[in-house]
This record gives sequence, structure tokens and C-alpha cells, in this order.
Amino acid sequence: MYGDVANKLVLEAKRTDHLANGSATLQLPMFQDEMVRVILKEVSQLQRNAEYLKLQEDSGKLSKCQYFVTMLCMERNKRCLLAYQKTRSEILDAIAWENNGLDTMDLLSNKGHDSGNLSPYEQEYLREYSQLISDLTAGELMDIDLAGSLTPPSDVFIDVRVLKDAGEIQTEYGVFNLIKDSQFFVRQADVERLIQQGYLQKL
Amino acid sequence: MGYYDLDDILADSSKFACRFNYELPGLGYLEGNPGKPVGKHSKVELPLWLASVLATVTGEQEHVDEEALPFVEFLPPEMFSARVVNAIKADAPTLDVHSINGHFYALGTRWAALFSDAGLAGMLAGMVLERALEVQRHAASAAVEATAPTDATARMLQTLDEWERQLYRRAHAASRDAKLWAARR
Repeated sequence: MYGDVANKLVLEAKRTDHLANGSATLQLPMFQDEMVRVILKEVSQLQRNAEYLKLQEDSGKLSKCQYFVTMLCMERNKRCLLAYQKTRSEILDAIAWENNGLDTMDLLSNKGHDSGNLSPYEQEYLREYSQLISDLTAGELMDIDLAGSLTPPSDVFIDVRVLKDAGEIQTEYGVFNLIKDSQFFVRQADVERLIQQGYLQKL
Repeated sequence: MGYYDLDDILADSSKFACRFNYELPGLGYLEGNPGKPVGKHSKVELPLWLASVLATVTGEQEHVDEEALPFVEFLPPEMFSARVVNAIKADAPTLDVHSINGHFYALGTRWAALFSDAGLAGMLAGMVLERALEVQRHAASAAVEATAPTDATARMLQTLDEWERQLYRRAHAASRDAKLWAARR
């Protein structure tokens, strides 16, 4: 039956959605290249059928019905494909925002396996979306930290522990030398970015 | 609800038994008979996305004085049969909706809209209210630190339809947030 594979793809999209919302770190499972290809093949076959049926001019509503059903199957496949891609692209958007439009591709390939989970088009999408974000943050909105945390801080000063060596940083209250495993009492606003990047851990 | 809504798409793929009102050429593959026409009065299980359109589009008039029949006609579906309706009326909160259909409400509203079935719509509305109370009770009683639901709640979750599960997740998040807020100094 037409649309069965598309249905499986939507189930996969639903699983993707659960995975992304269920865990703290954003992750994207493998792009279902095979399934998408099968569906596209089905659509082009349906299209050939539709063109053939269109040529048969013995019209009458009953024989039009087959043409009609063919169109409906194509519509259905289209909706399933788009929904799948939309689910994935929303996660990609979130990943791009989380990394503040930094070069996400590098980040993904550093993690090793993740970049292999994207289709070539998705890689391009992610790159260009990241570019948009960094253009936005570097332009007129430079003074606003768009990627900042949405929860208001509970304290102005916090204790942080250094997880990775990061050299010296300069703040309003002096210079800190970030050596692994040392602890500091610093203003939260100064180190927000370093926490995000994984150099510091909030205690 | 929306074009990209995954649950909406999945609900649309549920199959309903239909009967064809015409002999239609070239559609034999719908009943596992490719290349042949589908016969008049043959019964076929069609997914809702196909059936709902075919059931609203009319074919040709056979006689001038008769109303034109739609291409297919829905047969009374199992999920809204008298048995299920009685079970809902008897005790909605304990009914295992998920075993009937994972997208019960989505299909119910679709069905009610398709046939302007006010009775069904009213029944569903009452059912939602009764069951939502139960969902809320479970969601509010879960402990703040609990990572996994208790046994009783897990059993209840098994019987919920997809929409109700979302409702549970939201209710749970809301009550947890409220408790955390109240526990602040």
C-alpha cells in the first residue's frame, strides 16, 4: 500500500522528537537515507501513473477516481517527508542556538559520530543557520547576549571549579589564572560564557 | 494540530473499514488485487487520510431522482461501537483507551466533525473532563525528586491516549515547578 513507508518515517520522527526532548544534551539520530529514497521513488512512480491517467480522456467521474487517489497518495507522502525534515531541522536550530552560532560543524565532527548522522543538505542547513546567528549577534545586536540563560541568576557571585586549563582571564575584580581543579568565587556574569563552553563548573 | 504535527499524521494513518459504492477501475491494489478494478460493495480497510476524502466526494448519479453516493462509505467502526460507548459511560477514568486506539481523541473529533455527530462530541467532552481529573491527581502526587513514576501511575500511563500523555507531562512539570517555587525560602 502506498504511504506505508512514509508512515514508518513519521514514527521515526516521533522517536527523534522523544530523544531530543527527553535528554539534557541535544542529539540527532541517523538520517534515514534509505527510507527517504524509497518514498521519493514511490512518489515519482505515482507521478508517472498520474501523468498516464491524465492522458486518458475518457473522463467520467468514476475513472477520474484512480487519478484522484494517486494524487492523494502523493500528498500524503509529501506531508510525511516534510514533517520528518521539519522535526529534524528544529533540533538543528536548537543545536545552532546552543552553540551561539559558533562553527557548529567543527563541534559536531569533534564529537566524532554526530556529523555522520546528518544528510549533506542538513549539514549545509546547519552551517548556514549558524552563519545567520553569528551575523545577527555580531551586527546591531552585539550588546545583547541572545544565547544567554533565560533563568535569572539567584546570586551575583558564585563558586566555580575549573575543569580545563584556560589560561588567564581578566575581570572587573582582577585577574584569575584558570588552572585545572582550582576553585574561585567570581561574579556570575563574568564567567557565564566559560561555563557554557565547559571550562568551568558551577558549584 | 497542524500540517507538521506528528501525532496528527499518525492519527490520520489509522485504518477504518469502508465499503465501495461503485466499481472503480485500477484501484484493486487497495484490496490487495493489483491491476483489477475494485468491485462495487467490496469492503476494504482504508487509512483515514484516504477514506475521509473519498467518503466526502460524490460519484455520478445513477438515477436522476437519487442523491449521488460518495465513492466509499464508512462502516460503523469498532472504536465507536456500542460496547466502547457503554464502557465510557460506565466508568471513563479506568478505561484502557490506549488499547482501543492510541489516538482516540484525535480520531474521535475527526469522526464527529465528519458526520456532525453531536452525541459523540458531547460524550468525548465529558470523557476528557473525567479522565483529566484522574491524570491531574496522578501528576500532582508524584514527588519532586522522583525520576520514574510510581507503579500505580505507570499503570495508569499505559492506558492513556497520546494526547492524554502530553497532558500528563505538562501537568507533572507544572506541579513540580509549583512545588519547587513554594519550597524556596
